[in-house]
Amino acid sequence: MHSSIDTLIEGLAREMARRISRRGFIGSVGAVLFGAASVPLLPVARGESAPQSGNGPDPGDPQTCEYWRHCAIDGFLCACCGGSAHSCPPGTEASAITWVGTCHNPADGHDYIVSYNDCCGKSECGRCLCNRNEDDKPLYMPFKSNDYNWCAGSKVGIAYHCSTARIVGVAK
Amino acid sequence: MHAANSRRLMVVLLAGTLTAFGRLAAAQLPVDPADVVEQLSAQPAVHRVWVNDMAFFAFPDGKAFLVDGDSGRMLGMLSTGYSFTGVVVPKAGGVIYSPETYFSRGTRGARTDVVTLYDATHLAPIGEIEIPPKRASIMPMLGAQVLTDDERFLLIYNYTPAQSITVVDTRARKFVGEIETAGCALIYPTGPRSFFSICGDGALLVTTLTDAGTVARSERTAELIDVLKDPLTEKGVRRGDTWLFASFEGELHPLHATAAGVEAQPNWPLFTPQELAQHWRTGGLQHLAVHGRSGRLFAIVHQGGPETHKDLGEQIWVYDLASHRKVQSIATRNKVGSIQVSQDPQPLLFACSLESNRLDIYDATSGKYLRSVDSLGSTPTILVSP
Repeated sequence: MHSSIDTLIEGLAREMARRISRRGFIGSVGAVLFGAASVPLLPVARGESAPQSGNGPDPGDPQTCEYWRHCAIDGFLCACCGGSAHSCPPGTEASAITWVGTCHNPADGHDYIVSYNDCCGKSECGRCLCNRNEDDKPLYMPFKSNDYNWCAGSKVGIAYHCSTARIVGVAK
Repeated sequence: MHAANSRRLMVVLLAGTLTAFGRLAAAQLPVDPADVVEQLSAQPAVHRVWVNDMAFFAFPDGKAFLVDGDSGRMLGMLSTGYSFTGVVVPKAGGVIYSPETYFSRGTRGARTDVVTLYDATHLAPIGEIEIPPKRASIMPMLGAQVLTDDERFLLIYNYTPAQSITVVDTRARKFVGEIETAGCALIYPTGPRSFFSICGDGALLVTTLTDAGTVARSERTAELIDVLKDPLTEKGVRRGDTWLFASFEGELHPLHATAAGVEAQPNWPLFTPQELAQHWRTGGLQHLAVHGRSGRLFAIVHQGGPETHKDLGEQIWVYDLASHRKVQSIATRNKVGSIQVSQDPQPLLFACSLESNRLDIYDATSGKYLRSVDSLGSTPTILVSP
């Protein structure tokens, strides 16, 4: 289990280190220490990504705090703001870096690594505020902490709009 | 009563009423002077508290409210910009420091970070110091902006996501420089030129400054915190040379500053095994407060079990730091996530939460509820006392 997670985290961390060059501070990001989820920018949705809801393989309503992927989220749910569990609302930008949680999908019994990318560039959406803290850690463990504004490092600045909950892998 | 007597009574009452109106007309109120603006006393006021509002639903509009705990009056407010964390109030008085962030177009455009200096009596800006636009945008923590013990340097935690600390010289009122704190977060002062940060592996990064505000020494301790098994919250409070942190599972960890650095003293439980089994835990954004003279530690507690380290509480338990014993339980008027206690001999206990915009005030010794102040912003976070 750990080796699988480590492999994924390592890959993500390397990707992040490549992406977020900061003058002389690359080594300070802490990605190697903690494991980081640096995911590529989310692809642009070609149509409206209607929030899914139901009892299929991805059960629950992404517009509710109880949705299984939201086990460690802290913010306004993008599914309530014009986006979805994995996409940002129009006119915002997905944060390049984020924190990750490990959430249990009751439909298939798997634990998934979920990347909580913030969507940035506008003021708060203000809808569907949700704070769950399963495996959330203090600020000194940044990539396990939901108390950072992950719009830090975004091209559009730190204006925070909402948070997504994107599956980036299975924690077998 | 006869009809004639009733008529006589009405006449008397009518005459009396007309006389009263006549006197009122003669004693008109004076015209109020124009352009009067209140000014606060420069005298130390130990029962004042700053209620910092991060304005989570309107991030560009952070605010800091000053409240007098004795009267329950709001005394004034500062307007403090985007993703506001909190003001820094020096004991020397006279000025208030506020690390702030602004965008040229509200939520977009060029970002400018400054330390705004406010006159403490007029609550008006009297200057600003531009700092690198890197100030951490986080849930507010006291450790994100602090003064060194002699109040010479203001230190501000940065996250871009590279971690560093901005150093500002309060005497020269100038940005001094930036200190890299690779893998380590926040700032906990231990002396006039020293502080530590907590690192992700459970070690501490102990930094010593020169008189110019540059790094004289920077050393990592051994791993003092088991971050995987039972991490400490980053919401420590300080009594003298010792910082006190609660762990997720309710252990109190004293970290003691020495001339050589920082050492972990034996931890002790805030909860009995029975209380742990009943799921009592600490929780909240600013869940600890300490009264230095009496050695009383205040902790917000709730029944929730693991993973509830941010839950609000409806009780505040008080511990004697000398005996490590719980000596008092205070049932709170409302759910609470942040507490602060004044440091005088008759201390007040202040309590608020993100979920309401009211400040509740208690006698910190007896625990008696005294008064509340409502409508303080939208999402009050950390409480700062002088």
